[in-house]
Amino acid sequence: MQAYLNAPIKEVISKFPKVADILNGYEIGCVPCSVGTCLLKDVVAIHNIGEENKAQLMYEVEKAIYPDREVKRPVINKAAKAKPEILRYSPPLRMLVNEHLLIKRLLNCVPAIVKALKEDTVIDKEPVIGAVDFIRMYADKFHHAKEEDILFKYFDEKADIIQAMLNDHVEGRSHVKEVLNGLKDNKIDAVSQHLSAYAELLTGHIKKEDEILYPWMDKNLTVKQVGELFDKFNAVDNGLQRGVEETYKGRIEDLEAKFIQK
Amino acid sequence: MSKECECPGAKMQDFGKEEVKGAEEGKRASQLRQWPVQLHLVSPEAPYFQKADVLLSADCVAYSAGDFHKEYMKGKTIAIACPKLDEGQETYIEKITSLIDDAKINTLTVMTMEVPCCGVLVSIAQKGLQAAKRKIPVKSIVIGIRGGNVLSEEWIS
Ligand SMILES: [Fe+2]
Ligand SMILES: [Fe+2]
Repeated sequence: MQAYLNAPIKEVISKFPKVADILNGYEIGCVPCSVGTCLLKDVVAIHNIGEENKAQLMYEVEKAIYPDREVKRPVINKAAKAKPEILRYSPPLRMLVNEHLLIKRLLNCVPAIVKALKEDTVIDKEPVIGAVDFIRMYADKFHHAKEEDILFKYFDEKADIIQAMLNDHVEGRSHVKEVLNGLKDNKIDAVSQHLSAYAELLTGHIKKEDEILYPWMDKNLTVKQVGELFDKFNAVDNGLQRGVEETYKGRIEDLEAKFIQK
Repeated sequence: MSKECECPGAKMQDFGKEEVKGAEEGKRASQLRQWPVQLHLVSPEAPYFQKADVLLSADCVAYSAGDFHKEYMKGKTIAIACPKLDEGQETYIEKITSLIDDAKINTLTVMTMEVPCCGVLVSIAQKGLQAAKRKIPVKSIVIGIRGGNVLSEEWIS
């Protein structure tokens, strides 16, 4: 078992496909992960599923790998299993989770924006330009910069989980580039395709950060580091980026008025 | 307070003479880096408060948490108070505000006992923070009267 605990998750799943179903059952979304080099033991440790669920999950995985082996079934306290752990973020990570909320409102508008591109006889590029501006200035320059330039520096940036997040950021930027190219060349299909792909990518990305990355970071940050992060994030919000939050909140409200509240 | 007092903060409890578990070998150094420690006596102007991670502890906590120095005081500047018995608690609120705005402390950790009246120390900290111009992370840690275990630990602002 120890050998599998120290094996990359992709390798374990390809040898024992049942492990994928077990992880999915606990809503551990590592199965379609773009990197997949996290070790099985880290995958289990990093997810915020509670100690009792963790024991039960390990039991199921061991059974899947060694079906004939006698594995001791963990004792599950019913009351404990009934209540999932509530996520309470430290103040700096809560700031990032709140920024995700605004980004999610943009992502929520994307299907309607794409639908209009496909159905309208006269193509209006403005909403796409607005969405791209939000993505570049708010989601990327304002939010992802806080993650990449400040938060991730407190951890080992070579760690698989951080690499997976950075990969998502890079992939997102390439979709945005393609959207802009499509606009320039009047290739509306490419615009729709890459805007939708961006929305899908970021939806999964935010879920991973909210539910896995940030809770894991909160467990590992010292009190001193939490204070420093909070101070640095506030310096960004009140420095060069002052007013960004308000401006882009307004933009989202405009997009929603047009595409959601019809 | 009479023997029959029903206040959970003052109710008599005997924990018996159960053998204490835990490593007892060796001597540990004190983690105290300053004097004074009582909240009325400390000055937010003191150098050790500047940009510090401050621990605001209810008096009883230190007698309850077995590893108070090693686990909680280490790396922090401390202030202690009793929210049940101390007078002049308005001054406490002003002092917290001054620690945040003038000493520009990095974080504030409030440690209290599980008894209800001890929770007042948390609201003193919150009022101090609300009155401050700066915002800082504040954490609340509640210690059980029996065994000194951590009952809850959460960021409250
Ligand atoms: Fe991110
Ligand atoms: Fe994010």
